[in-house]
Amino acid sequence: MNGERLLLLRIRCLWEGFSIVFASKTATVGLAIVLFWVFVAVFAPALTPYTPTEQDWRACNKGPSRAHILGTDELGRDLWSRLMYGARIVLVVLPVSDHFWIPGGTALWGVFASLILGATLGLISGYHGGWIDETVMRLLDAMMSIPIILLYLIIVASIGASAVNVVIAIAIVGTPGIARLVRSLTLDIRTREYIRAAETRGESPWYIMFVEILPNARGPIIIDAMLRVGYAIFAMGTLGFLGLGLPPPSPDWGSMVAKGREFILAGSPWAALWPSIAIASLVVGLNLLADGLREESMRYL
Amino acid sequence: MAKFILRRFFLLLLTMVLVSIAVFLITEASPGNVARNVLGSFVTPEQEASFLAQMGLDKPVAIRYLYWLLGSDWHASKKTGLPLKRITTKKGFEEWWAVNEDGTLIRWELVGDDLVALVPTGDGKITKHLDNGRWETEEKGVSTFWGVDTKNHVVQWEKGAGKKVWTFIMGSGWMEASGGPREYIPLKKGFIRGDPGVSLRTGRPVARSLFVRLRNSMVLAGIAFVIVMPLALVLGMIAGLKEGSIRDRLLSVGGMIFSVTPEFATGIFLILIMAVWLKLVPGAAVFGEKAPWERPDMLILPVLTLTLVELGYVLRITRASMVEVMRSPFIRTAFLKGLPYWRVVFKHAVRNALMTPITVIMLHVNWLLGGIVIVEVVFGYPGLGKYLLDAALYKDINALEAGAMIMVAVAVGTQLVADIIYTFLNPRIRYS
Repeated sequence: MNGERLLLLRIRCLWEGFSIVFASKTATVGLAIVLFWVFVAVFAPALTPYTPTEQDWRACNKGPSRAHILGTDELGRDLWSRLMYGARIVLVVLPVSDHFWIPGGTALWGVFASLILGATLGLISGYHGGWIDETVMRLLDAMMSIPIILLYLIIVASIGASAVNVVIAIAIVGTPGIARLVRSLTLDIRTREYIRAAETRGESPWYIMFVEILPNARGPIIIDAMLRVGYAIFAMGTLGFLGLGLPPPSPDWGSMVAKGREFILAGSPWAALWPSIAIASLVVGLNLLADGLREESMRYL
Repeated sequence: MAKFILRRFFLLLLTMVLVSIAVFLITEASPGNVARNVLGSFVTPEQEASFLAQMGLDKPVAIRYLYWLLGSDWHASKKTGLPLKRITTKKGFEEWWAVNEDGTLIRWELVGDDLVALVPTGDGKITKHLDNGRWETEEKGVSTFWGVDTKNHVVQWEKGAGKKVWTFIMGSGWMEASGGPREYIPLKKGFIRGDPGVSLRTGRPVARSLFVRLRNSMVLAGIAFVIVMPLALVLGMIAGLKEGSIRDRLLSVGGMIFSVTPEFATGIFLILIMAVWLKLVPGAAVFGEKAPWERPDMLILPVLTLTLVELGYVLRITRASMVEVMRSPFIRTAFLKGLPYWRVVFKHAVRNALMTPITVIMLHVNWLLGGIVIVEVVFGYPGLGKYLLDAALYKDINALEAGAMIMVAVAVGTQLVADIIYTFLNPRIRYS
């Protein structure tokens, strides 16, 4: 009985979430774009007969044709399959080494890692206050004042270009912003009565921070995280474009653009065009979704 | 207020010191070295060691950091026992000389086992004479001498050791010679005395190449800024006048699309449309030795890319601020008083709505710097960003540090300026 009610409640929550999305046109469009890329990324192997690294030297730098829907790049690799496997790296798998990968895309892991780091720092400094708060916040201020591109450059140039290192770079760069957000939410929530109650019960600070405060701050954090996935994809693309992303021959969107750029003026723009469109559409989609959600949820509050 | 500015200025210096140390340590800890990057992977270990020694890279990291920050001449001058002086020749080269007791300049070179002193005469010529009297005998009968060589190092020569030395000259390759010294101290004045040193990659003074790059970047950013600001503020105001109207939705969604699309994607789209398809403007910005304003057609696409990306951001900030102002009670009061619509908008709303964007824009400079780096790479534009990227990839520490310091100073400096402007715009704010 109880389990059934819980399930019903879950379904209602889910339904409410979806109705918020569908109430806003921008969020619906955003969700459609994002779902398209997630679908493509998950089912990539089933959607194309080519692998992303298969070369066809008879068909280099070709435009769209029946054999290759979007054309081929300078080594005759099928662009559509490279694009799909690129989406896979961003959204579905994190290639740790050549033969080993873990589920969850590179961008998602980056955001997740910065959420853990940032939330911990924000909770501690918001809940404890005092000199801990002061020290942590000043350090994060100093970090935030460093130009982001410089941080990325220094981090990736020093630890080397690989998927895991891109995750580390995204996590480090994203941490200060999340910590600030969580801290401000914590400052608000810790004055509530249920926190007082938990303190009176004698719960440990860690329990209060992670079980009482964090779940109650989830709304703004979720929307912020969604925007941050957009930033992370943006950052991944930028790093790849600068030659600091995943090493070749990985189908990394940014490095595909960087490589294809050399052939634009030679008359074959396809290799640079498609990954640019892919990355732009995915980032715009995520932002539309987050924007629509924020507007709608504000209307209900 | 003065105290506040002073405190922030101190924070700026602290950030710069921290970043400079971090850059040094991270560059140190990462694999690969500048010798391999510059000389290629076919360099022999002896050549690599010789190159590293001449650059002073064989010294401990703490010493190198101090040399970079404070200069090495004071330390080197203790070794030679003579004061050192930097002069600029008529051709514009910077040369270091030791100053003799009688005030004349002097440098040395080693020819076989003989020490030869080079003394410039007044008319630009250099006289040479044997100067073997300066050898100092250490224990075990080894004669050594600390002096200034002809390539701006203070070096320690050892008589009869005849160490081989390889010099790499850009464009002509390796020069092999004997008579190499035991130890090198590259002479520089140090960053805080205004000398960021010599680029390890090109051998040219960082300050000089960085100046040109900085100028180019400022031209790019300046033009984009002048176009973006009025346009974005006006469009943002129009969008924010009536929240939720068609105009508002179009402008804010359009602005969002432009501002979140990565700069390199926008750049590629613009190249394809404007340069490849319509053939209106060149698709790259390759200036060679020319200044950017001598080829304005090549500036169009980089400026346009930067403009589109920044436009969206400023527009959205302005819109949000305008929406908030239009909702506020004093605007309603003004309408209810019966004031004409445009009068309310211009006299009451705009002035208040401008406050947030102006400060937020200054904070946004941090992002703008990143955008400039990408735009410069997309179009091959010879600016600060590309310089920094190349320096980071080559581990060219002097160039990297100088570029990083400029970036941090710009980013933190504009934040300080934003805070100060804000106090003038909003006198209710007091910093204590």
